Amino acid sequence: MKKEERIGQRKLGRGRTGCDSHRGAASHGARNPADGEERYALPMPSFSYEASPWQIREDLPAAYRAEWQGLAQPGSWWTGAERVAIAEEVRRAQGCPLCVERKQALSPFSVDGEHAHAEASVLSDVAIDTVHRLVTDASRLSRTWVEKLAAQGVSDGHYVELLGVVVVVISIDSFHQGLGLPLEPLPMPEAGEPTGHRPAGLEHETAWVPMIQAGKAQGEDADLFSGGPQTANVIRALSLVPDAVRSLKNVSAAQYVPTWAVGDPSYSEGRALERGQIELVAGRVSALNECFY
Amino acid sequence: MLLRAGGEMAGTAVDLGAVTGGDTANSGVPHAAELVRFAEAIVGGDDAEITPAREALRAVVGDAAMIDAAGVAGNFQRMVRIADGTGIPLDTPVKLVSADLREELGIDAFGSASETSPTGRFGRLAGRLMRPLVPFVAKRMGPKRPSDDSSV
Repeated sequence: MKKEERIGQRKLGRGRTGCDSHRGAASHGARNPADGEERYALPMPSFSYEASPWQIREDLPAAYRAEWQGLAQPGSWWTGAERVAIAEEVRRAQGCPLCVERKQALSPFSVDGEHAHAEASVLSDVAIDTVHRLVTDASRLSRTWVEKLAAQGVSDGHYVELLGVVVVVISIDSFHQGLGLPLEPLPMPEAGEPTGHRPAGLEHETAWVPMIQAGKAQGEDADLFSGGPQTANVIRALSLVPDAVRSLKNVSAAQYVPTWAVGDPSYSEGRALERGQIELVAGRVSALNECFY
Repeated sequence: MLLRAGGEMAGTAVDLGAVTGGDTANSGVPHAAELVRFAEAIVGGDDAEITPAREALRAVVGDAAMIDAAGVAGNFQRMVRIADGTGIPLDTPVKLVSADLREELGIDAFGSASETSPTGRFGRLAGRLMRPLVPFVAKRMGPKRPSDDSSV
């Protein structure tokens, strides 16, 4: 069974809408009346690189398709429409004048204003601001700022899921930008309510959000951390929303290496780059983003 | 750290200045200059920089490796935001063995370093003793390869 099919089954197993209705919804298409650009996916296979100048490994579009399918569906804390709206804001943030001004300020919390955001967004101003800050100035966020979000309607679960959506879109869009390819149109949101799923085994440790301890994932989320006595904090970071961890593992396995192979500095199966070259790119991107971790 | 560990396993000296400062002259990594230029262009997000950087990389490593590099860059555009957005500290073993390295590279000065407590004298000593074992211990401590060899 292909990886994408397994992930699709995982989603279907939770009573979510499946592939057929996804395609049906997408067949309506939609355009953003504000800017005339294509806003949602048209009825064609997503992430088709047939027209691109590159021969792209099949595991990459397979992983991306699974993510786009999941993006359109209700999550644990946000509806499908809200999740797609978060994705839309990720793209808006990259040219947002307020974000540019904040980035240049001594403190990112010293500049107020209105973000360049989608007209009639289903997201609150706080959620929009959260997306923009994560996209453009994540290294200067703080525990206090995250903790204050809950009083403004963005609970810890909402926050972690929002972050999970933001990083899915950034990772896939960055890949497209690197290859000079147009960004994939966002999927048509599917109807339904968030599950409200809060996994067992969460603990408040030193991070700003609760995480499942390594070895304590259980029940329907027992698959999150497979084997071994250690699970890196960056893998556990999103475990308040287990599907966000699955998403991380899915895309990382295609774009980087599978999580079980990260600790092996010689592993580069299926890659044309040597592992040292992979780690050089990884390290340089992290340093430019001033990421300590 | 994986970059240095990989170099040590291969018996190659790796200069990590390429990571923090983009100085690739003595990196010990093949085609480091082109890889770093491409990574920098993707983070910068400017098509006018990305296109020539991509072409320069293609010329020395070919299409498949260039596509790999775009994927890795995309992945770490993600990972840095997960780390920064959740305030996770460094994992304890990594904190110990990387203390000298972090100081050497100046990354303790990054704002997000405040979430990780400083490493004391004994921690540094333990880290130095542990460092030669990193390539072997990391493989044993981490998640195991799934039996069906297809899981992520």
